[in-house]
Amino acid sequence: MTKPPRALAALGIALAATLGVLVLAQAPPLTTLAVLFGGGIDSGAAWMKTLSAFIPLFLCASALLVTYAAGLWNIGVEGQITMGAIFATGLLRLPDPAAFPPVPALALALAGAFCGGALWALLSGALRVHGRVHELFSGLGLNFAATGVGLWLILGPWKRAGMASLSGTEPLDEAFRLPGFAGKPASMFGVLVAVAAFALVVWLLRRTDWGLKLAAVRQNLKAARLIGLSPGRRMLEAMALCGGLAGLAGGLLVTGLYHRLIPSISGNFGYTAILAVLMVSLAPWAVPLSCLFFAVLLAGAVQLPMALELDSSLSGVIQGVLVLAFLAAGRLGLGARFSGDGS
Amino acid sequence: MDVYLSDITKRYGRILANDGVTVALKPGRIHGLLGENGAGKSTLMRVLAGHVACDRGFVEIDGERRERLTPATAMALGLGMLSQDPLDFPPLAVWENFTLGGRPRTARKAKARLIELSGQLGFFFRPDDPVSRLTVAERQQLELTRLIDNDARLLILDEPTTGISPAQKDVLFGILRDFAARDGRIVILVTHKLAEAEELCDEILVMRQGRLVGRFEPPYDAGTLLETMFGPEAAQAAEPEIAGEASVVSAKAPETVRTSEAAPLAELSDAAFSDEKSALPPCTLTIRTGEIIGVAGVAGGGQELFLRGLAGLARVREGEFRLAGMRMRGRGLSAFLRAGAHFLPASRMEEGLFPGLSLADHARLGFPDARGDIRDFFSRRFVDRFHVPNQPSAPALSLSGGNQQRLLLSLIPDSTRLLVAESPTRGLDMASSAQVWEHFRSLAASGATVIFSSEDLDEILARSGRILVFYNRRLAADLPAAGQTVQSLGRHMTGRTIPAVA
Repeated sequence: MTKPPRALAALGIALAATLGVLVLAQAPPLTTLAVLFGGGIDSGAAWMKTLSAFIPLFLCASALLVTYAAGLWNIGVEGQITMGAIFATGLLRLPDPAAFPPVPALALALAGAFCGGALWALLSGALRVHGRVHELFSGLGLNFAATGVGLWLILGPWKRAGMASLSGTEPLDEAFRLPGFAGKPASMFGVLVAVAAFALVVWLLRRTDWGLKLAAVRQNLKAARLIGLSPGRRMLEAMALCGGLAGLAGGLLVTGLYHRLIPSISGNFGYTAILAVLMVSLAPWAVPLSCLFFAVLLAGAVQLPMALELDSSLSGVIQGVLVLAFLAAGRLGLGARFSGDGS
Repeated sequence: MDVYLSDITKRYGRILANDGVTVALKPGRIHGLLGENGAGKSTLMRVLAGHVACDRGFVEIDGERRERLTPATAMALGLGMLSQDPLDFPPLAVWENFTLGGRPRTARKAKARLIELSGQLGFFFRPDDPVSRLTVAERQQLELTRLIDNDARLLILDEPTTGISPAQKDVLFGILRDFAARDGRIVILVTHKLAEAEELCDEILVMRQGRLVGRFEPPYDAGTLLETMFGPEAAQAAEPEIAGEASVVSAKAPETVRTSEAAPLAELSDAAFSDEKSALPPCTLTIRTGEIIGVAGVAGGGQELFLRGLAGLARVREGEFRLAGMRMRGRGLSAFLRAGAHFLPASRMEEGLFPGLSLADHARLGFPDARGDIRDFFSRRFVDRFHVPNQPSAPALSLSGGNQQRLLLSLIPDSTRLLVAESPTRGLDMASSAQVWEHFRSLAASGATVIFSSEDLDEILARSGRILVFYNRRLAADLPAAGQTVQSLGRHMTGRTIPAVA
């Protein structure tokens, strides 16, 4: 990732590995790739689908930059998205749509989503700081717990009138949805939110003393303690901000895309965001590109069954192989050898 | 055994650690390898023990040329190295550590062999105890037993007397003499303590800047040895310090405060410190402003926890601890920092610095209230006053040991009232040590209290006005420094406090 040619060479190797997998899966390799990458960009509607995936991905990736800056492995993003979605749905169920003005309602719902995600992340953070439970374990556990809470709400207290269905809760009233874009129901308001969040995070990490303190905590926890940086509190702050942004992503999924709470609303966006951030070795400038890349893949995957009668889960396999091959090529210096700029 | 090192050259990046070292080691002899920090002693020994591969040159053992030694092949040839920090596995049992890496055998046979061999050497082990329960000296003895069991014919000891008592040192030296005397075996003692090398070695090799610069046989002349190690000028300045005669010149400085009159800074009444792993019994003690207090003890003697407790890094389990008039029991580290306590850790990079952050970032973190441009502040305080290299954007990782300590010194707030320093000069060269002490003295002169530990009893005798000695995890003695000797401190450190009636 040091120089573009090197990254391109690594990408080439990754593509070659992917083609190999496709041959093994007895899929027509080139056509499959064309659908995967083209399916997300070949029309206006396809772009809308891509951007709908890009919003939560980019928000979560920005959020993860904060926890990685503090040396924390927050894999609880999935659960934090879910909690954000639950809080937003819960808040929007309270007021009467006919009587309550929609703008403050939506603002409150998104603020609530932020708090819900932050709360879930703080649980994980507090277990790390005060209970010496690594955030990997608590994050994973809390992901399951959040999914469980969501299912319970959908099938129990928040079930649709007359029937409990896995298709989700009663849809939000039209007034409580974020406005659609170009005649489609999906809202693009989240793109603005995600870009603003990304800018805020980069500014915080690069330009403020708080960002420097997080870097110090990642570099040396013991030294940070000795010098009086209160590393425990810094870690909690980082977790809260990360969880908050992930929760916001959940809130946007509810108010801007699904318009109700559905099971597994986090849709693996959290895990994919981890991949997107790791693929570019946490380099902030490359995060938007990497998120867009994954969003294109996700949107393209939906086309696989229709265009080629392939199961869309093949897309997951391809994503994994691509990222692994890309990382391995970059780390092992293979990219350097192939592009001829080795050190 | 004949060992010949030919033209050994090893480069680490821009640093030439070994520069064409050629030396023959003679059977039956104890060789001393002397040199200041960074002279290339450890690198040369690691090449010989197969821990690192050299860029050029070869090792010849009994006339056979070996170019690519690995730790396993070196051990098979009988080359054994005792590292400065024992390379053992603390959670495993003594016998398991003993037999690991050796020939396969049953637990019963391994234990029997351990008991037999340690008996011959004059050590005593309980084979089933975990190694984590042993003292540093015992771990060293276990490592030595293991190497001898593996038929080591050449023993390399890297600073083996660090952290053990004078009496334990005498036992070790006795064993080394016996070892070398039989079957033409070889011992190499890597040290920076001239007195030890003079006492034990049949031959002294001196390294400087990666080269072998001198080879001496008894009787040794300390002046010549020092000049070879440091170059003529530095040697003159440092002679008393290096030669271990510091207590004679005794900078028991003009600023020594009459301690009974100075105001108390820290008062411990039946205060007991604990951390996750261990606990100290209660002790009662008053520390006054302006004192310089040295703390002695063998490694694991309890002084480590005591110092951390004073600095707020361990819990006050019971009793009362007042610092600058405030009750500190149950208070967190931030309360200690507010009261003016500051801790200087011995492992500088691991515990004190941020390896990947720049020097200027360290300044920003240490002095968040510094007004104006951070680079100006950095050059005023860090560079002009403390001689940190003027490279504000270089990462701390790139600093040498001496410069790491300079960076840590510049991070000590000027308002510090209680400076707790853990082995502040460990591994430093003379110039850096001198700077550390100059700064400590000026802190004490301005009313701060300095309390420090050291593995070097001469340093403690030379620098402190008052000495605390720990033995067996309790405060064993609280003495004025005047009138103490290495021997008297050594007796307190090992619990033999009843003076020998002559």
